[in-house]
Amino acid sequence: MGRDPDGSNGLTVIPRVEDFSHRLRDPRLTSRVGLWLGITLSVTFLTGVWSHFQQDTPGWLTIPTSPYWLYRVTQGLHVISGTAAVPLLLVKLWSVFPRLFVRPPWRPSHAFVLHLLERGSIALLIASAIFQLATGLSNAAQWYPWEFNFRSLHYAVAWVFIGSLLIHVAVKLPLIREALGEPIDRDEPAPPPGGLTRRGLLRGTLAASGLAVLATAGSTVSWLRNVSVFGVTDGEGPQGIPVNRTAKEARIERVDDSWRLEVIYGGASRMFSLDELRGMPQVSHELPIACVEGWSGSGTWTGVPVADLVAAIGAPPGSRVFVVSMQRRGGLRTSELPGHFVDDRRTLLALDLAGAPLDLDHGYPCRIIAPNRPGVLQTKWVRRLEVYA
Amino acid sequence: MTAWRVALAVPGLAALAYATTLPWNVPDDDARRSVLTWLAGGVILHDGMLAPIVIGLGVIGARWLPAPWRAPAVVGLLSWGSLTLLAIPVLSGNGVDPTNETLQHRPYVTSWWIMSAAVVAVIVAAGWWRRLRSVRARSPSPRGRTR
Repeated sequence: MGRDPDGSNGLTVIPRVEDFSHRLRDPRLTSRVGLWLGITLSVTFLTGVWSHFQQDTPGWLTIPTSPYWLYRVTQGLHVISGTAAVPLLLVKLWSVFPRLFVRPPWRPSHAFVLHLLERGSIALLIASAIFQLATGLSNAAQWYPWEFNFRSLHYAVAWVFIGSLLIHVAVKLPLIREALGEPIDRDEPAPPPGGLTRRGLLRGTLAASGLAVLATAGSTVSWLRNVSVFGVTDGEGPQGIPVNRTAKEARIERVDDSWRLEVIYGGASRMFSLDELRGMPQVSHELPIACVEGWSGSGTWTGVPVADLVAAIGAPPGSRVFVVSMQRRGGLRTSELPGHFVDDRRTLLALDLAGAPLDLDHGYPCRIIAPNRPGVLQTKWVRRLEVYA
Repeated sequence: MTAWRVALAVPGLAALAYATTLPWNVPDDDARRSVLTWLAGGVILHDGMLAPIVIGLGVIGARWLPAPWRAPAVVGLLSWGSLTLLAIPVLSGNGVDPTNETLQHRPYVTSWWIMSAAVVAVIVAAGWWRRLRSVRARSPSPRGRTR
């Protein structure tokens, strides 16, 4: 407990900076942990913005269809690097925790304003970092214990985070450069018997970060499946791929022979039965389902290239296609394929997966599967394709 | 240096300004309250609960743990705590869809117990190893010379 400023023996409830041990809490450690934290969270930020653009593409950007595995990698990295940041953030906060108790210069002054500004930017930084990791990890497990729209908030707070991080680095830059330029053990007092050194704590933190990755990354890195005991999926599922939203949850009971695919273009409309679709030239491609929650799996899909259906109704190449599912409600019941996705012949209206008709949970009788697309846009149980030139 | 600091701070301020222009989609008081709760809640839980607990454990460990076990305990506790925190969503089972047997159907609670036991075992073993090593380092070598 801290002593009063006049040095008397009266105890105050709020501790002071000097009350904490500063043997390991040293800028040379903090800056190194901070560097790793900055790297992991910057990767998380960039891949997150990319994922947002994939789902909500701004006019100036064209999402490429190649490489077909791109979204699988970026979204896997997004969740992996966010997970890796958890131990780094904990140690980073531990190492600077005494700073919470720095007494501000109380008199109104230039220094007081600067102090408040720095405090404010740090508060934004820590609040947004914890918010992003907590809501992100929770979303990966499809648990939404809040009253806001996850995607809107996770995106907006990401910009708060990266902004306050850049300001924080700008404020601390002289200290960071000095600390990173020195050996980590410069001026380090000898540890008490058996105690950790700064280097030991840094290595232990990186090891904990690695463990966090091993414990979860198997959801997307298949050879880690058996060690990723806290991953959301073990990769098992009907026809070898996990399911995000089951038919039952989407209220799709069964699909009988009366099912028809409707393709609309201009004033024209054409119906295709399942047999007619199977009568068209079939194409097979190995393509991933890459979920926004970070898990992914890969399978061999067979079906009709969407481009062939667009041609069959007389629409020109480069037409975009609006896809409507049999699902009655929810934001996932529609998606839009931009013209260049339609033109890519790997973009299929898939009928088969792994050599057998689609499981009902995978979207029987047919679903969209396209290269480099988030799983939420690979619409299942397709009922209608609306073609727009 | 000043140029670098400006080059970081200006885009930083721009990012903050950009964040305020985004659609936060908080239509009502419930949503706004929920956002503030989650933004402030993490900081309050960390600074008010987690940090004091960790500091308390540090004080207890420094007093009661035999020296060889201290460093392994720190790294072990950090690993255990990180894994526990990031596994809370799957451990809670709140996101499970009962119609879906392909997601979140691993034995998370059992895995957590095994992980916890493994962390304890590694701490104990690492401490023993360190103790043996330090005893050996201090004891005279067979030729009777001390190091």
